[in-house]
Formats: sequence, C-alpha cells, structure tokens
Amino acid sequence: MATRPVEDNARRSAAAPFVGPQDVAGKNWAGEVPPPGEYPYTRGIHREMYRKRIWTMRQFAGFGSADQTNQRFKYLLEHGQTGLSTAFDLPTLMGRDSDDPLALGEVGRCGVAISSLDDMRRLFDGIALDQVSTSMTINAPAAILLAFYIAVAQERGIGADQLRGTLQNDILKEFHAQNEYVFPPRPSVKLVIDTIEYGAQHMPLWNTVSISGYHIREAGASAVEEMAFTLADGMCYTEESLARGLDVDEFAKRLSFFFDVHNDFFEEIAKFRAARRIWARTMRHKYQAQHERSWWLRCHAQTAGVTLTEQQPLNNVVRVAYQAMAAVLGGTQSLHTNSMDETLALPTEQAVKVALRTQQILAHETNVTQVADPLGGSWFIEKLTDEVEREADAIFREIDALGGVIPAIEQGYFRRRIAETAMRQNNAFDNGEAVVVGVNKFVDDDYVRVPILKIDPAVEKQQVARLAQMKKDRDVKRHGAALAALDRAARDGENLMPHLIAGAQAGATVGEMMNTMANVFGRYDGGPEW
Amino acid sequence: MNSMSELPIRILLAKIGLDGHDRGVKVLARSFRDAGFDVIYTGLWQTAQSSMLAALQEDIDVVGVSLLSAAHLTVMPEVLRWRKELGIEDVPVVLGGIVPEDEHQQLLDMGCAAVFNPGSPVTEIIATMKRLAEQRRRMSAAEAIRGYDDHQDTALAQLLTHIARGQLDGTWTPPAGKARIIGVTGAPGVGKSSFIGRLGKGLCARGHRVAVVAVDPSSPVHGGALLGDRLRMMWGEPEENFFIRSLSSGKVYGGLGPRCAEIVQAFSGYGFDYVLVESVGAGQSDTAIHDIVERTLLLLMPESGDAIQFSKAGIMEIADAFVINKCDLAGADATVGQLKSALEGDRPVFRASTVLNEGIDAVVDWITQ
Repeated sequence: MATRPVEDNARRSAAAPFVGPQDVAGKNWAGEVPPPGEYPYTRGIHREMYRKRIWTMRQFAGFGSADQTNQRFKYLLEHGQTGLSTAFDLPTLMGRDSDDPLALGEVGRCGVAISSLDDMRRLFDGIALDQVSTSMTINAPAAILLAFYIAVAQERGIGADQLRGTLQNDILKEFHAQNEYVFPPRPSVKLVIDTIEYGAQHMPLWNTVSISGYHIREAGASAVEEMAFTLADGMCYTEESLARGLDVDEFAKRLSFFFDVHNDFFEEIAKFRAARRIWARTMRHKYQAQHERSWWLRCHAQTAGVTLTEQQPLNNVVRVAYQAMAAVLGGTQSLHTNSMDETLALPTEQAVKVALRTQQILAHETNVTQVADPLGGSWFIEKLTDEVEREADAIFREIDALGGVIPAIEQGYFRRRIAETAMRQNNAFDNGEAVVVGVNKFVDDDYVRVPILKIDPAVEKQQVARLAQMKKDRDVKRHGAALAALDRAARDGENLMPHLIAGAQAGATVGEMMNTMANVFGRYDGGPEW
Repeated sequence: MNSMSELPIRILLAKIGLDGHDRGVKVLARSFRDAGFDVIYTGLWQTAQSSMLAALQEDIDVVGVSLLSAAHLTVMPEVLRWRKELGIEDVPVVLGGIVPEDEHQQLLDMGCAAVFNPGSPVTEIIATMKRLAEQRRRMSAAEAIRGYDDHQDTALAQLLTHIARGQLDGTWTPPAGKARIIGVTGAPGVGKSSFIGRLGKGLCARGHRVAVVAVDPSSPVHGGALLGDRLRMMWGEPEENFFIRSLSSGKVYGGLGPRCAEIVQAFSGYGFDYVLVESVGAGQSDTAIHDIVERTLLLLMPESGDAIQFSKAGIMEIADAFVINKCDLAGADATVGQLKSALEGDRPVFRASTVLNEGIDAVVDWITQ
C-alpha cells in the first residue's frame, strides 16, 4: 500500500527561485516578529529559548505487559531521558479490556495493556510520580487512565496537585483522523471538558489536553491543514470550556499542542511560527485571556512516522535528523524522534537509543541551541510564515461556515479533506513527481536487515489471566455501587472525574467504565464520510 | 464497463480488529473506484467472520484485508478459516500492512494470494487485483440457479450478480415469495444505512429473515463506485439471518440501480421475510422506489427542512410513514411538530436515534403489524 508521504510542492516550485526584501515589503516587523518571548511569539515563547532550558527529550514507549514497559521506562530514564511517554495497546486505546473479544491478537502489541488500577500500579512501580513528568497518549478513555494515575499516586501519598505530565485527551482529532473514538462527538467533548475543569481545580501542573495535529498529518493532511485543523480544535475546546463557566485564564495555560514534523524543512519551521502567532492573537483578542501564559502555544513535536521507509531502513536515521532539526528551529518545547525500524515493527532498544542520540547530538554538538529563532528575519521564512497563516485563515473560515468544528465533523468535512489530500500525495508518489529515496528513486536490492522486536503471544494470555483473577478478588458490592454512581452521574450531566477515580479504586476496569458511559452517551459509527 | 453483460469487478476492503489506521485503505478504495472497480469497504472494527460473511453476500471477486496492528499472524488464519467455513474458497484474499519480510512466505503458504507492504505502488496492486479477479472461477447461471433452489447462500449471492448483469433477462423467474418489501429513502446524510442496520437487526431479533438491497451511485467518469452503505449496516456483531447486498446505480436514474426489482424478487423467492430497499440519497424527484415496494419509509432529521419543504410534492407524497432520525440532536421536537402539521391523513411519524439505538422497536412494530 502506497502510504508514502509526499509533500505538495506545487506552490513552492511555481514560486520564484529566491526571495528578497520586496517579497516582505510593507511587513509590520515590530508587531508581527518582535524578539522571541514577546507577543505574538512568532519567534518563540521564551526569550532565551534552549540556552536556558533544552527541550524535553521524550521518547514514546510501551509494549507488552505493564512490567515490561516499566523496565523500558527505567532503561530510558537511566540513559538520560527526561520525561516518560506511555504508548497503550489498541484495546486500551479503544476503551476495551484485554479479555474483550475484539482485543484478540492485539493485547500488548502496539503498546502496553492497561485494564485496571492494578496494571497501572505495576506500570509505574518504583518510579517516583512526584519526580517525573508523564505523558499518556490516550484519548477516548483518557479520563479513565487519568483517574487510574491519580489513584495510584494517592495510594503513595502523592496529591493530584503534585503530578506533572500530559494527557493527550484530544478526541476531536480522533474523529478527523485516528479513529479511536467511542462516543458521538458531543458527549465525547463533554468528557474532555470534565477533565479540563478537574485539572483547572486540582492539577495545576498537569496538561489536560494535548491538541494534536500529528495524527491528522499522518492520515494525509498537508502542513497547513494539520496546523489549521489543530488550532480549530483548540478553539473548540476553549469555547466549550467557557460555556462550562470556566475562566479562560484558569485553563488556557494547561492546553498544549502536538505537531508532526515532516520533510519539507522550511515549511515545517514556518508552520510552528505561524501557529504560535495565530494562537496568541486568538487567545488574547477572541477569548480575552489576560495572562501571558494563556497566549503561549506550547508544543511537543514528533518526527513523521509516515515518511519512514521499510526499504533501506538506515536512511530513516537521516530523515529523522533533518526533521528533528526543523522542530528545534521551529521552537518546540519537547521532541520525540522516531526509530529507524518502526515501519517494520515496534522499535528495538538499539533503534530507540539511536533516535535519542540523534536529539542529544542536535542539542549538544551543533550549537543550534545558542540563539533563539535563528531563521527569523529571513525573507523566505517570514514570507512562508505569512503564507501559511493566510492559508490557515481560509480554513478557519470554511469551518466557521459549516457551523464550527463539531458540525463540520458531523458533515464529514475533515475526513473528506484529509482523504483527498492523501490521494493527491499518493498520485504524486506513484507518478514519480514526489521522490522517496530508496522507494521510487535510487532503489537497490540490498535488503538491509535490522533486528525486529517481536511480542511474545504469552503476554496476552498472562494479561487475560491476571484480569480474570483481579475481577474475582474485588469487592463486588463496592464495584457495582461505583458503576451505578457513574451511570447516574453521566445521566445527570455531572463532571465524571470524581466518579471515575472512585470506580478505579473500586476495581472497575477501563472496559466496564466505558460501557457504562456508552449506555448513556451512545456509540458513534464515524459519521457520513469514510 | 459499457457492455450490458459486464459489471465492474467487486472488491471488498476489510479492516479487522481495533486498528484505526485507514489512510492506506482509503487511498486504495478511491484508486480502485477510479480503476473502474466497485468497492465495498467494511469500515473499522470488523471481525474475520463479519468480513468473510460480507464477501459471501456481496459476491466479492477479491478481498483485501488491511492490518497495521501487527496482528496478521493471528488474524489471517481466522480469515482463512471463515472463508472455508462459509464455502467461499474461490475468493482470493490479499493482505496489506506492515509485514516483516520473513513473514511474507508464511502468509502465502497459509493461503493469502498476495501480500503488499506500505510502499507497494497502487498500479501494481490494481494489476494484481485484476488478475486475481479474472482467475476466480464463478458459478455459471445454471449452477447458480441449482444452488439457489437448494438454498445455498453462496449460489444466491452469485445468482444476484448474474441478474444484475442482465444474463437472466427473460430466461428465469424466481419462485413466488412472501417477503414484504419495505423501501427506505431520504436525503443524503439522514442516516438511512445506519437506520436500516438497526431495523434489520430488530427484525432478525424477532425471528425474521431479512435481506437488504443498498444502492449507491456509480462514478460517471470511471464507472466504478464506492459502496459505503454496508459499512453503516453491518456495524456491530454479524447476524446470520441478515443478508446485505450493495449495488451500484450504474446509469439508471431515479434513485435505484439496474434490475433492482428483479433482485428484490429473487430475495423474496429465496425465502426472506422482509426485503429492505435503500435508495440512493434521494431528492424530491427520486420516486422510483415506490414502484417496487409495498411501503415506503421516509427518513428525515431534526432541522432538515422547514414546513414548506415538507408540503412539496414528490417524495413526501409516496411515503407511508416518516422517521425523524438522529433524535438525539437538538430540534427534534420542532421537526416532528412541523411535519405533523404539514401532513394530511394519519401517516405515522416515528422518532428514532440509531446512535442510542432508541425508537427502532416502534418502527419494527409498524412494519410487522
């Protein structure tokens, strides 16, 4: 299947071969590109940027059982990683327990299987939850996993207010691109707002939503579509939180973003710059945020998995390095670099280490950290930033014309647009207009074998057995009462976070709590477009 | 695809398991359509059983399974087991996904016809699908008729293809059946397919055998079609007594495909109790459905049109009952009120929500009364 990413170069190649001062004539330099750390932060949210603090090197990890992932976490911490990032397996991501019939063959395969509080305890065994920053990449059941995390911390005497980390919890992009939704769009967003509200009240150090363009881009969107859809989603969460009665400055500073970094080097840098400017202006003027931190677009970036090739896998190390450089020149706050072998299987320890070393070389050997936004003021980069911003504005107008993000989802807008762009990119790859080295040009027969990590099928059996034991051992009465309370609260429209924490403590599983909510909210079939 | 006796190659694209990576499968679906194929996509979260049941019912020429979850060595044996179980071993199955090099041969040995990886050119995949479709040995019309008379679902499925191709025009008439024929129509986006899925399962739950004829438009440019109705209908657990057949409309106008009436009669003669006919998302002039069904249900949704729209002639007049679908959305009460005040006579107006699975029983009651 040709899912190679190929950039849409038409615009750039049709333009002049170089850019000069005439291309940015009339630009309001002081208003649009003031020094780094000044509104609207085109050049970055901090004046000193990486000189003061290097970006967080956060490698996504998770596979097999909670115990195995716990070992990988400890390995990464020992090798200098500064934050944990949890990948869950598909059943968990879909809110299903390891013993669900649809989970067959997928338990622990693409991430760690977490069905109960007991699994969560073992995942973070021996890791000081008040010392690390933990990111959890999960969406439809995100509120439940957050409840598990809070409950584990409480058992160790650590309050929710001491927990640092990020919950992806961005359900909107699931409807656009990644397809890990369960409930229909409206109740799904309601649940996200529950976590934002809970976070605003109890978790000052926790990023409640990581508004993500990554999956939108990987599904086929262009750079501009990725950025515009993501910011539109951010505005949707903001408006829904305001409608809940929250003050914008209570929650806006805990919203963070997550972008993809592809091969088109300068366009990627321009994307980060334009995104910061749009977000700052929107938060300040449209939503009337008063605090500077509410205006900041803080983001995590990840190199583009979809650009990596199975053929000549060592080439992927080079792709990832260029993409990582673009993310850093774009001013990201944290970064994941992909492993060269991930088109083949889950990354091996050695491949993960090379990926981490790629970031360390960038941070400590290249000196790109010494000056903030080194490309600022380049005629080309400034013109490109303006173009990306203008094109994003056009997309915001289209979404507004459909009645906003949720109505646009219900009308299939995002999925249709992403599928069309993906198709266009694929055609360009097929006819050779878009070159992928080692795949449709410079092909050779040397099949370089890299070692592959295989998951032992026994993991699934053990996990299912452990879950059965846990269900037998739990207090039936307490468990039933917790689910009944959750059901009632969902019907009454209450904030569900306290009920999910109580459910976790009563031994309720991810699947049981999801089903309880699905009985009230319904299950979504994906809307009109596919 | 201009010849009367030739219909497009029918391809099923299946996503099995919980993996939601559908970029590749969507690109392929569109590329296949543009290559002139009829493409039926199962949608996400299918099982091996539901996918192969779809292949049987749709008389598929080649099945493409998309797996990016690394579960291929667990899932593909299940797929091939169900293929055998359902008696459709003549249908080749190909796999697309992230498959390590050393597992390709293993998959071919177990019975996959081909394995594609990310990066396989679409042109190569299309050529393989064409070759496999041509190699497939189909039942002759006579064989299919014999099997139909013996109540073999595989023969019914292939007979429907012969009928759609016009190969039985004037030479074969199905036995008289007792099925009640119900039409379901409505504008694009009101949720006809999801509703039919719920309705069909509701009827099955009361012990009835139900067939569905779902019509989607063909591309006027390439002749191929994306047949997406089934995706909404087969959502959830597969149901043995629920036989869904997707048709492309070809060049026939009026909201139905070629020989739709003959296909409905073949279902009836086979022994189905109910045949539900879904027409192409209908506008006001698409009333062809009325000629072949006993009763017509018109689906509307909240705020789908004001009272003036309701009173217009055409499709509103042919409806025997109305369903306001998506009643979980705001504005349902107002729409029901507007509709009731605009209607003459006492045609029933139902409220339903396929998302919440509510209000379906009342429609089943009305249909079965």
